[in-house]
Amino acid sequence: MEPYRTHVMLCAGTGCVSNGSFRIKETLERELKKHNLQNEVAVVMTGCNGFCAQGPVMVVKPDDIFYQLLTDDDITHLVEEHFLKGRPVQKLMYTPPAEELPVPKMSDIGFFNKQRLIALRNRGMIDPEQIDEYIARDGYTALAKALNEMTPEQVIEEIKLSGLRGRGGAGFPTGRKWELARAAKGETKHIVCNADEGDPGAFMDRSIIESDPHSVLEGMIIGARAIGASYGHVYIRNEYPLARERLIKAIKQATDYGLLGKDIFGTGFDLDVSIHRGAGAFVCGEETSLIASLEGRAPEPRIRPPFPVESGIWDAPTNINNVETWANVPDIINRGAKWFSAIGTETSKGTKVFSVVGKVKNTGLVEVPMGITLREIVYDIGGGIPGDKEFKAVQTGGPSGGCIPQSLLDLPIDYEKLAEVGSIMGSGGLIVMDEDTCMVDVARYFLEFLKDESCGKCTACREGIDVMHGILVRICEGNGKEGDIEMLEELSEAVKDSSLCALGRTAPNPVISTIRYFRDEYEAHINDKSCPAGVCKALITYVINEEKCKGCRLCAKNCPQEAITGEVKMPHTIEQDKCIKCGVCFDVCKFDAVSVT
Amino acid sequence: MPKIKPEDLKKIREQMSRTMSLRDGDARAKITVHMGTCGIAAGARTIMSTLLALTEEEQAKDIILTASGCAGLCSREPMITVELKGQAPVKYVELDEEKTKKIFSDHVLSGTVVEEYALAMGSERLG
Amino acid sequence: MNQGNGQKVGAVLVVGGGVGGMQASLDLAEAGYKVYLVERGPSIGGVMAQLDKTFPTNDCAMCTLAPRMVDCGGHLNIEKLTYSEIESIEGTAGNFSVRIRKKARSVDPDKCTGCGECVEHCLVKNIVYLDQPGRAPVQIEESVRTKADRIIGRYDGDRETVVPILQDITDEFNWLPPDVLMRVSQEKQIPLEHILRIATFYKAFSLKPRGKHIVTVCMGTACHVKGAPRIMDRLERELGIKTGETTSDMRFTLESVRCIGCCGLSPVITIGDDLYGKVNPVEAAAILDKYQD
Repeated sequence: MEPYRTHVMLCAGTGCVSNGSFRIKETLERELKKHNLQNEVAVVMTGCNGFCAQGPVMVVKPDDIFYQLLTDDDITHLVEEHFLKGRPVQKLMYTPPAEELPVPKMSDIGFFNKQRLIALRNRGMIDPEQIDEYIARDGYTALAKALNEMTPEQVIEEIKLSGLRGRGGAGFPTGRKWELARAAKGETKHIVCNADEGDPGAFMDRSIIESDPHSVLEGMIIGARAIGASYGHVYIRNEYPLARERLIKAIKQATDYGLLGKDIFGTGFDLDVSIHRGAGAFVCGEETSLIASLEGRAPEPRIRPPFPVESGIWDAPTNINNVETWANVPDIINRGAKWFSAIGTETSKGTKVFSVVGKVKNTGLVEVPMGITLREIVYDIGGGIPGDKEFKAVQTGGPSGGCIPQSLLDLPIDYEKLAEVGSIMGSGGLIVMDEDTCMVDVARYFLEFLKDESCGKCTACREGIDVMHGILVRICEGNGKEGDIEMLEELSEAVKDSSLCALGRTAPNPVISTIRYFRDEYEAHINDKSCPAGVCKALITYVINEEKCKGCRLCAKNCPQEAITGEVKMPHTIEQDKCIKCGVCFDVCKFDAVSVT
Repeated sequence: MPKIKPEDLKKIREQMSRTMSLRDGDARAKITVHMGTCGIAAGARTIMSTLLALTEEEQAKDIILTASGCAGLCSREPMITVELKGQAPVKYVELDEEKTKKIFSDHVLSGTVVEEYALAMGSERLG
Repeated sequence: MNQGNGQKVGAVLVVGGGVGGMQASLDLAEAGYKVYLVERGPSIGGVMAQLDKTFPTNDCAMCTLAPRMVDCGGHLNIEKLTYSEIESIEGTAGNFSVRIRKKARSVDPDKCTGCGECVEHCLVKNIVYLDQPGRAPVQIEESVRTKADRIIGRYDGDRETVVPILQDITDEFNWLPPDVLMRVSQEKQIPLEHILRIATFYKAFSLKPRGKHIVTVCMGTACHVKGAPRIMDRLERELGIKTGETTSDMRFTLESVRCIGCCGLSPVITIGDDLYGKVNPVEAAAILDKYQD
């Protein structure tokens, strides 16, 4: 008898048997016989290979081709294609999830299929520098409608009905704000697009302006008309040169088309939009400081009321909305308030753009309906945590927000729900943290940010944050004392109560929320002088695992302190008294031999 | 440029739909390079210039090369979208010059999707 | 003040309300003398109020000054004669009589709380500070002045032009040279103090010369959790400077920024206009080598 040219290893483990592997065997043998291959191909039943989820499975030797989830019908095809014609059948092969082979549809990929695009509707579809492409995707039709077919009151009513709320963070109803601005007395009125996206970790405003500047402009023109404003301003961050450049181009094109300037669409309505470049001050995102900055004063917030809608730029009524809010407007006018308000939750309508960043596989910008859970964002869209790390928390709302722990992952996201758990919606930064992130260090980080960015007007904010930061630094350095946590809590209340603007009033949030959910980490720092996540420099040591170290000398060569000793090809050691904990050895090691304890 | 009236919007839309959708136009393929800040940082400019050079080289007049904003998946930049007439657009991720050349010759010119670099087909849900 | 002489009066006139004058006044007042403190400017405080740090101890200037200002301001033995100048002094040691001209200020100093609202709302340009006699005309190199004037000429308007002008100056010179700022003050008729207030408020402006290549480490949250502080540490060691400083050869300035919105590529550093994403400390240090020119 000739030796078999091919062996088919068919799994006969419990899992596969229950999925019908014996039936497959019969079919296989029958089909082979039909093609007269029974002497060339041997069918071998094997033990479980552990891939029970994909059963029944089989491996064709010697090619080592792995087929999965077989049915009787597949076998007929398989035998013809593979064993007779020698062509492996692609569609029955197993594709590891990491490699998208064959190419899946966008709608099959979690990152894309959970998204619903309104503010980002044109992202990646149009050339942002061509107004015609924006028009081709129904651009400026909402403007035509709002100007020619609707009265300003109707436009405001539509926005009110849609339930659109400010996307900059506080969530004030946009329609209500417009109504107040329209009712305010003043010969000239202003509208402002707040693109001073100061929250570290959020970049949706930049992305919207970069990929679709006209949607923001169209929203602004509609809003200006509804309010009766004749001056528009865009206050854009200094750090976003590309967005600014594209916006300048967009304004030029819109002006050339007569969509800005005098007598827009022949309705006698005028609007000029100018761009103001920020200069790197976080507090300028606050309405009254932004106005002060526009006027050339030192950008310190002032007491409200009067609110900017009554007295803003040069004391004229001023309506300020965030980039994302403006970008939502054209679609609401085009498709109606009813359509918009059908998306989202009871109190928060429509979608929200989040920047999903940090310790997550797919980092990027996503637009999702309100009410989606954090779990869906982190796992389905974000693809989960890279490496085999454990999820720890999600930080939302930037420096004014808080950290949300694992136990609240199923929280549906809207303005109210986030506030209930001690965070805020903010501008939409969503930073995922894993077991390697130290929560005390995160709190320290945010307070350092706020300490630098506090304008210094209110004593409680200026001094209070500084003292709180000092305590956190002390804790991170291993010098925390009994009572520090209580002191932080007390200071938090004081700063909250006695600051003028939102910067100070929300500044303690990162501290409060980390104490609330991660008190044990604070206690570990204070009582045990240890940093469970291995972040705080003073509380960690780098060690080389003797078993893993191959003695390649790479770490020793890179160590700035020459603190690593050891012969070539022998395990190295770190002299702890010389080590400055810079972590270079950890970074350069190719064998994961350096660990932090 | 003359000022436009509301009814002109429709005209522009129709004109543009030729080049945008590939349905009625003469173009055979459209390549969109996603050039937001992150894309550019990750090397989208190189990809763009590579593609420009390739289209020049091939004298390919029926290929539209265009820039667009961020596609949202910043961790996989640089990205391009290739759309052939009558087919769903395909997004390619984490590109470099070599990969771009391969995609250009295999997919754009010969119509075979380069599976190993592709992320997905189609587009997201709007509204 | 010869106490033994019966004709002599126990009062002292201190000329100049700078930190020295204030300290002298305080010591005298504490010793029981009545002190007249004459100051030409509208407020005591002097030059030190404009300084950030003092030589050689690097003490915070305001911390030294402010308590003395408060003490002087409230001391019952010190009579402040601000916005006043001495016209003549007659007599001999121990018995002087001094004529002091108090300039009109239309503000009742006893009631003024220093809130600054009047300055904000004054319709007339506050040019008092500019016309101070004795302040030397701005010394500025011809080429620098041409550049400065070109920038200033771009903007028409009042104080709202300060930020854009400072931005353009930064683009042109990489920092804010003092002579250029004085030129702006002079040309735009905006007090230098206001320009400095704006210049020190925002992160984008530097009053110190900066290097040829500005190395910026993003300290946004996403970058922070992905190890940006360790990149900063490494670069500090590599360049031998601290954040905010410039290497002695003026090649590199190391700065931090609060998020440049490239969180998808975190951690991120930029050098000039070039952005590098997903770097680790070792790579970051290696990138510097590209900029050794």
